[in-house]
Formats: sequence, C-alpha cells, structure tokens
Amino acid sequence: MRAFAILFLKEIRSFFLSPLAYVVMGLFAFLNGWLFLGMVRAMEVRASPRGLVHNLLSSGWFWMAFLIVFPLVTMRLFADERRMGTIEGLLTAPVRTSEVVLAKYAAAFAAYLVIVLPVLLFFAIFRAVTGEVSAFHGGAVLGGAAGLFLVGAFHVALGTLASALTSNPLVAAMLTFVLGMLHYFLGFLQAFGLNPGSGWAEGLSYFSTIGHIDVLAEGLLDSRPLVYYLSFSAVLLSLTHHVLESRKWRA
Amino acid sequence: MIEARELTKRYAGRTAVDRISFEVGKGEIVGFLGPNGAGKSTTLRMLTCFLSATEGSATVAGFDIYEQSLEVRRRIGYMPENVPLYPDMRVGEYLRFRARLKGVPARDCRAAVAEAMDTCSLAAVERKPIATLSKGYRQRVGLADALVHKPELLVLDEPTNGLDPGQIRQSRDLIRRLGERHTILISTHILSEVEMTCGRVVIIDRGRVRASDSPQSLIARLRRPGSLLLEAKTDAAPAREKLAALPGVEEVTAGEPREGWTAFSLSTDPARDLREEVHALAVKEGWPVRELSSRAASLEDAFVDLLKEEAGEGSGGEGE
Repeated sequence: MRAFAILFLKEIRSFFLSPLAYVVMGLFAFLNGWLFLGMVRAMEVRASPRGLVHNLLSSGWFWMAFLIVFPLVTMRLFADERRMGTIEGLLTAPVRTSEVVLAKYAAAFAAYLVIVLPVLLFFAIFRAVTGEVSAFHGGAVLGGAAGLFLVGAFHVALGTLASALTSNPLVAAMLTFVLGMLHYFLGFLQAFGLNPGSGWAEGLSYFSTIGHIDVLAEGLLDSRPLVYYLSFSAVLLSLTHHVLESRKWRA
Repeated sequence: MIEARELTKRYAGRTAVDRISFEVGKGEIVGFLGPNGAGKSTTLRMLTCFLSATEGSATVAGFDIYEQSLEVRRRIGYMPENVPLYPDMRVGEYLRFRARLKGVPARDCRAAVAEAMDTCSLAAVERKPIATLSKGYRQRVGLADALVHKPELLVLDEPTNGLDPGQIRQSRDLIRRLGERHTILISTHILSEVEMTCGRVVIIDRGRVRASDSPQSLIARLRRPGSLLLEAKTDAAPAREKLAALPGVEEVTAGEPREGWTAFSLSTDPARDLREEVHALAVKEGWPVRELSSRAASLEDAFVDLLKEEAGEGSGGEGE
C-alpha cells in the first residue's frame, strides 16, 4: 500500500501540473455545458416524456466528449514510461507490478472524475437558478452519476491496457479511442439492420452502453451494468499486469 | 554479494547472454567490460530483475533474483544505461519520490535525499527541473537516485557514457569513494575507467565471459613485449644495428630522420627494463638524446588482444 500511495500521488501531481489537464477540463465543461443548454432549450419548446438527466446522458454527443477524455487521461501512463526508459527505474524499484498498475489506474480514474464531475454540477446549478423541480428527480442524478462512474471505470481500464501495449502515447490514445468507440457503438448495431428480438440483437444489448445508461439515468439501479463494468475493468487490469510481466521474458 | 550461475538470455533466434557465471564479493568494485552489444546491459537487467533469465540463476545478497525479486531489488541501487529520468520533475522532488518508492520511511526521507545530493554535489540544482539539466548533472542525479536508499550493491550501467573528460574524472573519483561503502558492479566499454577504479574485471564478448581477473594480472598475462622509445640525433642505420645488438632487444625500427633527429622504437623482453642500457649506449656513442621512455602495456591492449583471439570463432553479435 505504501508504494500505491506514493505512485498514485506522483501520477496525480504530474497530471494536474500539466497544462493538458486544464485544457481538457475547460473544453469538456464548455462542450457539455453547451449541450446541456441545448437540452434545456429543447425541453422548453417541446414536452419530453423523460427527464433532463436521461435526455442529456443518452445523447451521442454527450459521450463523444467522453471518448476523447479517456485516451487523454490514460495515454501517458505506461507508454510515456517506456518511451523515456523510466519504466526500468520504476520496475527495478522494490514495488509489485500490481501496485504500479493499480496506482496508475486509480490516478487516471481520479483525473477522469475531476474532469467529468462538473456535469453533475450543471443539474445543481439548473435547480438553484430556475427552482424547477419537475425537470428531473434526485434519483436520476444519482443513477446518472453511477453511470459516469461505471462507464469511466471500464474505459480508463481499457486505456491503461492500451498504454501498456505500446511505447508511443499517441498509438495508445488511438487504440483507446477506437476500441472505446467500437464498444460504445455495439449498442447502436440494433439500429443498423439487426432484427429486433433476434438472438444477436438481444445479446448485443447486454454490451450496450446506451442501454445501460437508459436504465441508470432514470434513477433505476440495475445490478447488471454494475457487474458488467466492474468485472470487465478487473479483466482489463489483470491483462495490463500480464502485459507488463511478460515484457520480462520478451524484450 | 552476487553469484551468477549459467545465466542465459535468449531472444527469438538470438542468444544475447550465453551461460554467464561470475561472482562479486562484498566490498568489491568489479568492472563489466565488453564491446557494445556484448550482453552487458542484458546481464545487468537480469540481475536487477528487469528481465527474467531464460536459463540459469543468480543470487544477490543471498536472495534469488527470480523467487525473491522484491528482496533483491531492495538491496540494489541501479542506474540504467542513458540514465532515464522524469524531465518534468525537480531534482529534489524526484529524489524524494524515488527514496519513498524504494522504502525510505517518510521521516528519514529528507535526510537520505540530502545525503545523496551532498555525495553527488547536487545542492546547486535541487530546485531545477530535470529537463533543464546538463548531461553531467543528469548523470549525477541518476547516481544519487541509485544510492538514496543506501543499498548494499550499486549496479551502474555505463555511468560515464557521454560525459566530457573532466566529468569522467569527477565521476571516477566519486565511484571510487562510493566503493568504500558499497559493493559496486559497473559496466563500461571504456578501459581506462576500469583500470583506474575496479579491483577486478570481467570481460565479456558476444554473451560469454572471456576473462575475469584483476586489471594488473590481465595485463601481465598477455605478456606483450615491452617497448621503448628513443629519440636521438644520429644516423638511423648504424645506430639501429648497435641498438639491436643490445641483450634483451628483440627488434628495432627507426623512423624518418627530421632535422637530424631519429625516433627509434624498440621491442624488448617484457621482464626487463632496458632504459639504463640504452642510455649507457647513447652516452658511449655520444648521441644527443631528447627522449627515452618505456611504454607499458595497458588494459586496452589486453582487451583488444583478447577480442582478437576470439574473433576467429565466427562473426560477432550485434544490437544492444
């Protein structure tokens, strides 16, 4: 645990001491703030059967910004250490590889949370300014937060793995982006000619981020996405561990 | 301190390190010498647990490098080749991070870092970002990193690579001083370095150990002919014959005379110093002399000869 804490703090420091963190935070808040405003305007014009939280979180535009945040917070984790050669000093220090993986993952996840949490503030600000209570209910915000948490845990783990696979942060970023995007679009395949109700469509709906968010953003707590994202994150992290350990035998 | 037995590292189709066995005793400074691509770095990386051996094993301070890797790593201060550092960290900050990571307790951290910085003369750059440091300073930061947790064993991979002659001399003195408190294993392809700092040399080439001995006895073992240089104002041909007639002189070559001065190069019996006899001859013949010196065989000669001996066996390995 000692090494975990030291590595975690070092990663956090180096992330938040770089200008990249603030550019990403600013752009993210701006883009999704704009989108939030658009959603509110749309609901002013036309009544919506579902709440504001649901409308925002089930929008493809909303997740686009996320798919860019994931590579940015994870691409440097291991790829940069390999590019600079500092991985040699890191892995010859008396620390377990698992501690290194977990510390880096936790730091990237914390950075992700700091970047996306302003989204939840939007709802608080909205309520404080308008006094409107019918646009959404508290349970939906909690469910939405759980969605951000789970989807983030999964994608950050994916980015951690991608970063361990290469010594080029840009390659890691592209890999994270493309894989994340593919996973996200699995949920849309039904719309592209798959027969609803067929085995394929049923199966794919289990992988669908959109489907999971649909449920969570209504304020319903479903154990299936919980198990899905957490177990997948664990698998990706253990793969990362294997990649780092197998380097000893190859390189 | 180190005991390597038949350590082997094979990559697809290539053997980088081929059954290397050697020992390093407590308190020794041992030089790991070989041309580029000989397998020095790979061997050091196996000892520091960065790479796993394909076959064979080694112990460091009695701990197995594979089974008890954490214990081994706790006892080693390792400075990798080219000294990788985090460019965006400040020197003091970096060393405190490394000290904590290597298990120095928080309350001793400041003192340990101050001591390491003092040893490596880094006080002036404590607050500077590593990216702005010169090569010499970066090297010293790497060294301070290696010794900040007071390891029993220091493993330094080409510690003077890329330094200027003044810096090389400084780091050589530093390494010698460190040898009083630590066991040290240094890899290098610079011979003068080993000759001046190390008590023992392990010469490796193409993944195999070629020799392991003190620099002095390696030189003696080669038994190259000793050589003398004489520069005198006289005619070349007759003087050459007279020099060659001296007992113990095996061969004499004369250079082109310049402004009456001729340089003679004498191969002699390595066991004897013939300067006195040569001087006596010059006095007897009345030659004005402006230089008379003996050239001892250096480790460089020993090294080149050893590699030449082996060169017949096939083509060399390449790569790192």
